[in-house]
Amino acid sequence: MVNEHELVRMENINKMFGKVEALSNVDMTVNNEEIVGLVGDNGAGKSTLIKILSGLLRADSGEIYFKGENVKITSPSQAMDMGIETIYQETSLVDQVTVARNIFLGREPTKKIGFIKKLDMDYMRRESRELLGWIGLKKVSPDSLPPALSGGEKQSIAIARAMYFKACLLVLDEPTNHLGIEESERVLEFVKKAKKEGCSSIFITHNIHHVYRIADRFVVLRNGKKVGDVRKDETSIDEISNLILGRGIAA
Amino acid sequence: MRRYKKIAEHRSRSVVDKRKSKEASRLTLHYPAFGIGRPFRYILEKFTLHRALIPFTLLIIISLAFDFINPGFLSAMNIGNMFPYISELGIIALGMTFLLTCGELDLSVGAVFGFCPIVLFIWYNDHVMGFEPAFILVLGIAALIGLTNGLLVTKLKIPSFLTTLGMMTAFQGIALYISHGFAQVTFLTESPIRTLLVGTFTIGDFGFYAGTFWFIVLMGLMYFVLNDTKFGNWISATGGNLQAARARGIHTDRVKIILFILTAVLAAFAGVIDSIRVSSAWPTAGQGYELEVIAMAVIGGTSLFGGRGSIIGTALGVILLRFISNGVILAGLPGLSYRIFVGLTILIMMTIHVLMERKIRRES
Repeated sequence: MVNEHELVRMENINKMFGKVEALSNVDMTVNNEEIVGLVGDNGAGKSTLIKILSGLLRADSGEIYFKGENVKITSPSQAMDMGIETIYQETSLVDQVTVARNIFLGREPTKKIGFIKKLDMDYMRRESRELLGWIGLKKVSPDSLPPALSGGEKQSIAIARAMYFKACLLVLDEPTNHLGIEESERVLEFVKKAKKEGCSSIFITHNIHHVYRIADRFVVLRNGKKVGDVRKDETSIDEISNLILGRGIAA
Repeated sequence: MRRYKKIAEHRSRSVVDKRKSKEASRLTLHYPAFGIGRPFRYILEKFTLHRALIPFTLLIIISLAFDFINPGFLSAMNIGNMFPYISELGIIALGMTFLLTCGELDLSVGAVFGFCPIVLFIWYNDHVMGFEPAFILVLGIAALIGLTNGLLVTKLKIPSFLTTLGMMTAFQGIALYISHGFAQVTFLTESPIRTLLVGTFTIGDFGFYAGTFWFIVLMGLMYFVLNDTKFGNWISATGGNLQAARARGIHTDRVKIILFILTAVLAAFAGVIDSIRVSSAWPTAGQGYELEVIAMAVIGGTSLFGGRGSIIGTALGVILLRFISNGVILAGLPGLSYRIFVGLTILIMMTIHVLMERKIRRES
């Protein structure tokens, strides 16, 4: 009885930190080619939920289904292998290392010289150049360092990196928080582009206006519980705000 | 008119890769088209691309200066005399470089340098076991010390400064205790391992010594690992942005533990070489080496905060500090004053590095 459009389903997730109930019986589903806006105030449990999805935390109880199969996600690398990639608000790039090395971080291509495996820098540079061109950053050199780039450019590279490695689910943790208007636009457009390429996204944010433009559905958390799961065409920004704040809808 | 065209050119060029040849930390900087002459700009760019050029230049300058004051400074004999110490400290410094790059440090290297040879000599002198097995075992003990450091830092999250400080004090104490405060003396008869560790051969006046060979070999290996392997990338990433590295699936704990072990083993190796060379193991050997070695690495361009390490820079830093200590004495300055110059060097080099760092960030 699995919905064939379903990509990820988290069921009955519970997580306690000491005596604090961070998540209580939360369900969340993400379908193929869908952008889900995961919204809620600070402390609602958004970060906890996606950390469980990306392998950084284990839920106390609950099930996760990925493409219909029950899975136990125990580490970030396992999540990455499954195709779930997380992009954080703080830069996901290492400032001291070139863009090419950043793009292939953790998945460096190697070539054999005798019995020694050497980094294949040519491959890395070539592919990086192509990737940067695809994002629209043609002028950026693969040998440049992240501090030379703007926040939006860095986020775009992080997203493109995820897509390059065939991620099917992008988890974006407040990606536009530190960004200006033009930069945020760039990221939002890119998330839309990702969806067209077949990559779903979970977009966490405080800024409902940002995510309202591109999301297909909203999951609203409040104090560790899910209080809303609505499609965009069935709701409005005001309604979502009210759900976040726990206000009754004005009569 | 030409001046204004240059400004426009610079503004539009953004971050363009001009030279496609070497893979270095390539960052093209913006310079105001006026006010700074072309040769100065060229030098500044070169220095930013290759941080090791800073200690290298200073090394050339002070070598020439000291040799001018005392022509015996740059003699084969004098340099040959300096090299054992350079090699031994250099070996420790190489380990420390990797550790600093991954964002940690180890204050116990000096204690391990002193402690392990004591154990080795006690076992050998008391005929507990032959030299070779004792040597291997003692390196194993160092590895265990490194492992403990690594576990305390990564699993218990005790800052490496405190962990290794405690370890340092403990092993200084253990060394004193088991040796009853006396140096362990031994004369290792000619054996293959002796030659391997401390053998020498001379070319003219220059004594080339096995320790130097090991230093150079290690330098080459570690340079390759840091710059041309996956693991090297992971080291830089772990130190540069731990969260980003973990998010990419890198086992940062594993990386750090491996490097703690490496650092301790290299320190023990250096200690053993040193004690065989002088045929005695002092329980107080190595005291102060930890800070000296960190200074050497940092002067060479390795960042104290992690993420950027330079093997060549460290080697230059080691040579630089030793040259200064030696040169000051040969120049006839009061022997007790050499540390003033070492301290000054550290301050000057750090100022230059920090200014360069700030310039890079501002230009971005």
